[in-house]
Amino acid sequence: MNKGGNPRKRPPPPSSHQPSPASKHQATTPTPAPPSTEEDFVDEDVFFDETLMGEEDVESLILRDFEERQALASRLSKWARPTLSDAYISQSRSIVFQQLEIDYVIGESHKGLLPDSSGQAAIIRIFGVTGEGHSVCCLVHGFEPYFYISCPPGMGPDDISHFHQTLEGRMKEMNRNSKVPKFVRRIELVQKRSIMYYQQQKSQPFLKIVVALPTMVATCRGILDRGIQIDGLGMKSFITYESNVLFALRFMIDCNIVGGNWIEIPAGKYKKTAKNMSYCQLEFDCLYSGLISHAPEGEFSKMAPFRILSFDIECAGRKGHFPEPSHDPVIQVANLVTLQGEDQPFIRNVMTLKSCSSIVGVDVMSFDTEKEVLLAWRRAQTLGIAEFPILGRIRNSRVRVKDTTFSSRQYGTRESKEVTVEGRVQFDLLQAMQRDYKLSSYSLNSVSAHFLSEQKEDVHHSIISDLQNGNAETRRRLAVYCLKDAYLPQRLLDKLMYVYNYVEMARVTGVPISFLLSRGQSIKVLSQLLRKSKQKNLVIPNVKQAGSEQGTFEGATVLEAKAGFYEKPIATLDFASLYPSIMMAYNLCYCTLVTPEDVRKLNLPPECVNRTPSGETFVKPELQKGILPEILEELLAARKRAKADLKEAKDPLEKAVLDGRQLALKVSANSVYGFTGATVGQLPCLEISSSVTSYGRQMIEHTKKLVEDKFTVLGGYEHNAEVIYGDTDSVMVQFGVSDVEAAMNLGREAAEHISGTFTKPIKLEFEKVYYPYLLISKKRYAGLFWTNPLKFDKMDTKGIETVRRDNCLLVKNLVTECLHKILIDRDIPGAVQYVKNTISDLLMNRMDLSLLVITKGLTKTGDDYEVKAAHVELAERMRKRDPATAPNVGDRVPYVIIKAAKGAKAYERSEDPIYVLENNIPIDPQYYLENQISKPLLRIFEPILKNASKELLHGSHTRSISISTPSNSGIMKFAKKQLNRTLCSHCKGREAELYYKTVSQVSELEELFGKLWTQCQECQGSLHQDVLCTSRDCPIFYRRKKAQKDMVEAKRQLDRAQNLYFVSLHALSWWVGDAATCYIPFT
Amino acid sequence: MPSLQSKFPAMEVDSQEQLQRKQSTYLSLDENFEIQKEVYRGQQYSQIYFARLHMMRTLLYSLVPNWKSHLPVCTVLELEEGKECIIVGTLYKHMKLKPCILDEYSKERSVAPLIKPHNFMHQDDYLVLEDESGRVKLGGTKLSPSVYVTGVVVALHGKETSAGAFFVEDVLEAGLPPQIERPLESREDKYVVFVSGLSIGSSSSNPLQFQLLVDHITGHLGDEEEQGLAAEIVHLVIVGNSVEISRGLLNGQNLVSKDQSRLSEPFKELDILLTQVFSSHHCDDQHFKIAASLPLDIMPGSSDPANFALPQQPLNRCLFPGSATYNTFRSCTNPHCFELDSIRFLGTSGQNLDDLTKYSEAKDKLDFLERTLRWRHLAPTAPNTLGCYPFTDRDPFLIDSCPDVYFVGNQEKYETRLLKGLEGQLVRLICIPRFCETGVAVVVSVFHLPG
Repeated sequence: MNKGGNPRKRPPPPSSHQPSPASKHQATTPTPAPPSTEEDFVDEDVFFDETLMGEEDVESLILRDFEERQALASRLSKWARPTLSDAYISQSRSIVFQQLEIDYVIGESHKGLLPDSSGQAAIIRIFGVTGEGHSVCCLVHGFEPYFYISCPPGMGPDDISHFHQTLEGRMKEMNRNSKVPKFVRRIELVQKRSIMYYQQQKSQPFLKIVVALPTMVATCRGILDRGIQIDGLGMKSFITYESNVLFALRFMIDCNIVGGNWIEIPAGKYKKTAKNMSYCQLEFDCLYSGLISHAPEGEFSKMAPFRILSFDIECAGRKGHFPEPSHDPVIQVANLVTLQGEDQPFIRNVMTLKSCSSIVGVDVMSFDTEKEVLLAWRRAQTLGIAEFPILGRIRNSRVRVKDTTFSSRQYGTRESKEVTVEGRVQFDLLQAMQRDYKLSSYSLNSVSAHFLSEQKEDVHHSIISDLQNGNAETRRRLAVYCLKDAYLPQRLLDKLMYVYNYVEMARVTGVPISFLLSRGQSIKVLSQLLRKSKQKNLVIPNVKQAGSEQGTFEGATVLEAKAGFYEKPIATLDFASLYPSIMMAYNLCYCTLVTPEDVRKLNLPPECVNRTPSGETFVKPELQKGILPEILEELLAARKRAKADLKEAKDPLEKAVLDGRQLALKVSANSVYGFTGATVGQLPCLEISSSVTSYGRQMIEHTKKLVEDKFTVLGGYEHNAEVIYGDTDSVMVQFGVSDVEAAMNLGREAAEHISGTFTKPIKLEFEKVYYPYLLISKKRYAGLFWTNPLKFDKMDTKGIETVRRDNCLLVKNLVTECLHKILIDRDIPGAVQYVKNTISDLLMNRMDLSLLVITKGLTKTGDDYEVKAAHVELAERMRKRDPATAPNVGDRVPYVIIKAAKGAKAYERSEDPIYVLENNIPIDPQYYLENQISKPLLRIFEPILKNASKELLHGSHTRSISISTPSNSGIMKFAKKQLNRTLCSHCKGREAELYYKTVSQVSELEELFGKLWTQCQECQGSLHQDVLCTSRDCPIFYRRKKAQKDMVEAKRQLDRAQNLYFVSLHALSWWVGDAATCYIPFT
Repeated sequence: MPSLQSKFPAMEVDSQEQLQRKQSTYLSLDENFEIQKEVYRGQQYSQIYFARLHMMRTLLYSLVPNWKSHLPVCTVLELEEGKECIIVGTLYKHMKLKPCILDEYSKERSVAPLIKPHNFMHQDDYLVLEDESGRVKLGGTKLSPSVYVTGVVVALHGKETSAGAFFVEDVLEAGLPPQIERPLESREDKYVVFVSGLSIGSSSSNPLQFQLLVDHITGHLGDEEEQGLAAEIVHLVIVGNSVEISRGLLNGQNLVSKDQSRLSEPFKELDILLTQVFSSHHCDDQHFKIAASLPLDIMPGSSDPANFALPQQPLNRCLFPGSATYNTFRSCTNPHCFELDSIRFLGTSGQNLDDLTKYSEAKDKLDFLERTLRWRHLAPTAPNTLGCYPFTDRDPFLIDSCPDVYFVGNQEKYETRLLKGLEGQLVRLICIPRFCETGVAVVVSVFHLPG
């Protein structure tokens, strides 16, 4: 059924792309710059570095550009891919490769392979790498786009051909200027069944409509949706089935290809292309039927040695502006290429504008014009260099950039740029991070600080221009920085095992790797659903998006939390993969759901159906086994296998693959439930999701009841058990015993007992004991986590201010330290004392400023904000002071709250921390006390202490207050300092103390100064060059600044002291006096 | 019972005679270590490294022709793969276990208590050579990462490998600095006493021990022979950590009077003891008198109330209201350098050596001392791991002239060795133990230096 069409000529280069200049070398005709802006190109703290996963034909690209440059030849040979063996050249061996990306192009159908086909056709392109490291581009012919509609009753073969003509006619109307000779290739009658609702008959007639080009599916669907006049039936609109499946995915499903698996094309089944259109080493045509797809098992679970390119681009900005591609030139590009599976990049190079001193181990290529830089690197659309935008694998195809907005319930809306780079997988780490981790900031700096425990050196964009305008040395400095930035994403990629995890995820869910980042969760479930349906001869309707007004359903229950500090072990009973098990246990699926009408009509016997607590009816597996439960069973079984294999596995790479797989399986299993509940998704079915949650609720209640009934003194147990809290899938029980081991035994007993009362495979598991346990409210708790009776595993906290953006570091430190003291040291008085000391430090102005800095992103300019916000106001004020360094839209604005006139609004009291440091402006301790630390503290201490608020926030430790004297304030103008004056009466007798204090202050400062500045040298990676970093995300940035400034003052004081030889202590005291606490009386 | 590490040769003294303390000429060379006009102006540490590299490079370049004259000398920038050459630069040791101030902010407080190792060495540590033009990772077995530390300037012979590292084939250190020839005229026997780590005010200090030492020096103990020897002591150097003040006392709040006295007590005690050194000629005993007080140098150490960063500035004279009235009392810098009868002494209170022991390895402490001399740098780890003032135009820790006596205070035990340089330099290396723990002071004979 995949053959058809008429013979025609061999395919020219793909026509779907703009015609491009014949040769890259001579073309200088600039094409107009598209309006899109490529912010990707700017190095900024939100990291735009993209990592292109997949392979990079740097060698071929560069080679052509640098043919004359003999000097590079030797290096380039190092970059080249392994040469093809004879067997490949003679086409006598089969090609086995790991595919990484699948897309399609429109081209003339292949005469040699498809003799009876003609005209334009979609050609599937599969890009990949063989086990030896050869790059492969496989052009697959003969696969045609299609979809289904249900066949109206009584339609015979004649009616179908009529219908075909009508449809063809309508299609022609829609695409008047298309040259395609035939739009609807065929219509076939097939026997299928819709996935929706329980049906008693096994199959119904459906029409499979095969069209010429993938884009026509949508057009055709539109026609059928709106209704079409059919002879004898009148105007009729159709529900289409599987009409929204992307062509590439359709191909993968029909050929059993999953993302990132191995494909084999036997010798003789492929033909080398006459004219290569890609830069791949192996490019060939083959038929869709000639492909062999290998399941990712055994030998085929490994990874091909594909290449990973990570790059960073530096751009010269203008002062005070965020760099824009239309104004600011690209000045440097750093590239690192790594082979998958190796830990060191094997290519490092930097391309710079103007000369640059060389860097050891790195190829530095310098160019005189920006054009050459970009040519070398081949990308820059905004410059309009025609020969430029070629980064992909396909000759003569340009890289286009478009803005995309990605929106999903789970991930929220994110705006990003989509860069189409054909044949390569792009892996934007920023997106991946935002998806997979909840962090307070996603800047490259904070991400690397979080995962690699390393600070990234951050050079402000105004400094970048200065460095570029300097000499070869300063540009080298910039290049080193640029390289480091390019290396970081690569290291993150390795550290987080992204390659393995994502490839495994693609294999499990069967979508191309690129979908994992560019699309939401639902496509993954849909892909599995489609595969399964195909096996079961089911078709999936294309439901019109109903929007979100379908309403929501009741969420998971949370049992009332009995807040308090529990000093006895709390056992936690968890449902293992609760939602998937519910779906399996009660056979919840699209195809087992019985509509309310059918319930009446079909008159099913009660023992064959389950009525869910939410009132829906599903048939039992004996009548119809659900597809979703089946998918879930497979996923969970596969996970079990993967976990078992993982235990066996020795090789670290194999382990990585297996671990990635079991993780992917778990995530996929859990996302099935979400798929049915996604009201804007592909196939929402709230009956399923609300049933799932209602069962979940019921089970939690049931567990609570059973535990409290069984474990009682009456039942022969030592104590009465009490359920203190229950969340979505876990129940916390206090059995009353004070021994961890006893609690564990009881927990196990309870889990076993209760599991027996549930339908399989729902299982209650005992996993851990919290001891001690601080329950604050629902979704907020902290405790020590025990899985064995000997030693606790870790401290576990949930919903407590440990990571939140809009809190200052002080809050986090304070909360963590308090929890540590309470839970681990079991030292409540110690924790109270610690809080008091901290508050006292805060009030006495001894707090490190960096702990008080609050950071917020400036997303739009001041006028666009409706409510006045502290950081916006500050940005405005800073712009007035100095427009060059003021934060711009997109920057993160750090600020502290300072003391100001009474009644001033918080937003008026925000100030730049640097400005505060420089001018000794007093911060407002009260603000921090009341607005930042009081709430989280009280939350923790209220269950523990009586009168927590009074004790902590209003004790005697809050009485002494010290405020730093602003150096520019009025009052100091009246103070008169005098030399050789005895101490004021207040300070008399404390000479020695004051002296020691000052000296120890100086000494502490010096120590700090040394540590901080050498640390920055370390991060920077150079001893002989000044530190340039201005990373405000770095925790030591303000401390470093402050130490530097304080040192100036302290040194001056010490100098005065050192010069006071032979002068009595009395004289010494004056300088001590005015420095800290003692005020000299006015004279 | 405290013991005096004594190197006294036997000698006869007439018991009836009044003993006259010997004199010697003293020249302070501390000027280099004084931070007078320098202020913190926002300068960073790159400048001191630059100054160091500049000075040392000039020196090493002058040595290269005698070492391997056939090889070209280049900078890190000019390295080419496979080309044998000599490069000169500052070493940087990349250390896995090196404590990092950022850890204070690390997100999760680890549950296990942090064990502070005494040594931060790790087998994965590696060296990097840096000059103004760039860095290169060093390979080969010639240069052991356990011996070298960050901040040392050396010349290396080797070539760049294909991996971009520099394979080291040979190392050239600056070697011992030239020594000023000492006058050969016969000398009298004279002694210099070194004592460090008195730690007055700490729990381990025993006032009696120190009193005993003072009595020895001032000739209040022993028979005539010993007194005669005491009379030949011409100088006393207190090498740091004279007092110990609990830091806990200085936190924030104003002190109550009891705590105030605890603060000032140690120094009062020290002052009284030291005053005895100067006022010893008031002794009434008719049999023996040592007239003329003993000149005394006091250096600050890590526990003294002085600044933290090297060079530590002299302790304020106000702390010694008694002793400071004598013109033979000198409050000095740490490091301290002086000449006594044109014999050059150089030493520190021990911070430089302590830091080296944390970041490198040697078979004994004297080896570290020897290395610093060969590297011609008192404290190569400053400023990297050792606090130091950010000098802008010079590196005061460079040793341009070889001392005759090179001492370091506050060590566990007394050790000494005579070091001979290639050009005939002779240096006496001395580790001075902590007095409060060992009760040992070191007496150095000026006459018998070489032996």
